[in-house]
Amino acid sequence: MQVRVRLLGTLSACYRGQYPPAGIDIEVPAGATVADLVDATGIRRERVAIVTVNGLLAKADDRVPEHAVVKFMQSITGG
Amino acid sequence: MRFLRVNMTDQSIHIENVPEIYRTLGGRALTSTLVQAEVPATADPLGPGNKLVFAPGYFTGTPLVNTSRLSVGGKSPLTGGIKESNVGGTVAFSLARLGFAAVIVEGQAPADKTFLLSIDADGTASLIEAGHLRGMRTYALAAELHRQYGEKKSITCTGPAGDMQLLAASVQSTDLDGRPCRAAGRGGLGAVMGSKGLKAMLVDMGGKTAAELADPESFRNASKAYAKAVREDEFSGQILPELGTAALVEPINAAGAFPTRNARVGQFEGAEKISGEAMAELIKSRGGQTTHKGCSQCIIDCSNVFVDKKGEYVTSSLEYETIWSMGGMIGNDDLDSIARLDFLCDDIGLDTMSTGVAIGIAMDAGYRQFGDGAAAIALVEEVISGSEIGRAIGNGPDAVGRHFNHDRVPTVKGQSIAAYDPRAIQGMAVTYATSPMGGDHTAGWVVAQNLEAFGGTIAPMEAEGQVELSRDAQIHMAAVDSVGICDFAQSGLATEEGMGTVHRMYAAKSGRPFSSDDWKALGEKVLKAERAFNRAAGFTAKDDHLPRMFYTEPLPPYNAVVKVTDEAMEATFGF
Repeated sequence: MQVRVRLLGTLSACYRGQYPPAGIDIEVPAGATVADLVDATGIRRERVAIVTVNGLLAKADDRVPEHAVVKFMQSITGG
Repeated sequence: MRFLRVNMTDQSIHIENVPEIYRTLGGRALTSTLVQAEVPATADPLGPGNKLVFAPGYFTGTPLVNTSRLSVGGKSPLTGGIKESNVGGTVAFSLARLGFAAVIVEGQAPADKTFLLSIDADGTASLIEAGHLRGMRTYALAAELHRQYGEKKSITCTGPAGDMQLLAASVQSTDLDGRPCRAAGRGGLGAVMGSKGLKAMLVDMGGKTAAELADPESFRNASKAYAKAVREDEFSGQILPELGTAALVEPINAAGAFPTRNARVGQFEGAEKISGEAMAELIKSRGGQTTHKGCSQCIIDCSNVFVDKKGEYVTSSLEYETIWSMGGMIGNDDLDSIARLDFLCDDIGLDTMSTGVAIGIAMDAGYRQFGDGAAAIALVEEVISGSEIGRAIGNGPDAVGRHFNHDRVPTVKGQSIAAYDPRAIQGMAVTYATSPMGGDHTAGWVVAQNLEAFGGTIAPMEAEGQVELSRDAQIHMAAVDSVGICDFAQSGLATEEGMGTVHRMYAAKSGRPFSSDDWKALGEKVLKAERAFNRAAGFTAKDDHLPRMFYTEPLPPYNAVVKVTDEAMEATFGF
């Protein structure tokens, strides 16, 4: 199945290929989890801190539905 | 190090050595303990009994990077309690290099008098009559003062809002480019400065006083290790220079914690248009600066220079909290109007957060439409017109709630919450409710623990563990605010090793052993002083509660309400 992955912050620099601003379409097996999807991009899991699937927070073992829009975000510091 | 005491009543100035009890304190520790010791808790915040204290952090002026924070303290006219609000720019470093641990402004000038306080390169100080500058906007003021006194002056000032003693008035301070765009925004300390009759403090930037270090070599070695950690950290070393604090828009919105349209929902449909990524792209396309050094001693460069379509300066720096307050909170997805609102608040001397929330409440009450950026700009301009609605906006969210008899007012102790909805990140509910400062995100920022590691190491919408998390963070932050380390350079102390580096620097500066227990004791000392002041001012346990809306209105999209009980809030601190 195909999902759209958008890399936020400076994560696009970690992508192994050319990253288009609108995101990348990635093929993963049906039933793939968020963690599987991170692995499929070639980005190390520890570089990704927060993931949303179709706009909602997702855990590492949540399954990703077909044609989902998935955003990867990095660690945050603030105040 | 010395204290500079300025009595506005009789315009006398005294310089004294720092008393022993304050010698190892700086920043918030100094402002809060001084205010607690010297200001009657029941004093009128805008009267002669209040004091306005400016104190660089304990590490400011040393070789340590990212320590250019100035704590501004006093009794807040907005909350009625003690206040510390800190600001970057150039003033803290300049004061420290002139050998001043604090400037303490006391008394009150006659109502028809306005003064400048000039602190010169030789460490002498004088008050200069400046009635003609009262009411002047900050950008025009800074230009005039630089023209008259030279470019090498750091300027810390009020805008017209402070001169009018409006309760959301900020203290503005100049950045490395001389622009008065850095703000100690919270708590209405600009009104306190206005009430004193002090329009601006000019501090010569050429001070040469070396920091007093008991063990200079040990301090230098530790400070190098700290700087290395800040550079190597992904957020402070890469993300902040590229996107600034606006990098937080997407993750906080994803968490459903981005208060939108006066906190009616937790996700803003326009978030992608005002995200850090969108802002950086827009700034670059127009020839502005996405990486910009705003503060002395900074190695992060999280500031930016936002320009309009013609490439002309609009504001610096456009930050996350303002993008929220003038964006999501008022339903506005237009970065240009957000940037204009940021500039106007700096120019008029208003806290962008209180002002944005105040406008959001007015819109929620039906006075204007959510999403109308032009209407928001007109409302901010109206603040200094003297009209009834203008004064209400300038006096902050509670005043606007009263004006419209509208009860959806997201404040604690009279101060608005920040850009993290407490229903979606419950540790922030505890921080907002229990901080002596009122609704304040910097007092105990526990967002990362609630969101990272794919959804949080603690359940963000559950009560379990949140009180302890917030309490520990508040104690830690009270110490961070005291040493003067910038929030965004906390990557240097994020690990046990990093904290060890900080302890070594404390010991190397003070000449006394310093351990993790001493760090905790420092934070607790600050909070104890602040809570004692507030109790004496009349605050009770009930003041450590959140507005009911956060318990009764489920927040989409996760439909969460605050689960931390009032009783748990009240038990957060054992002192």
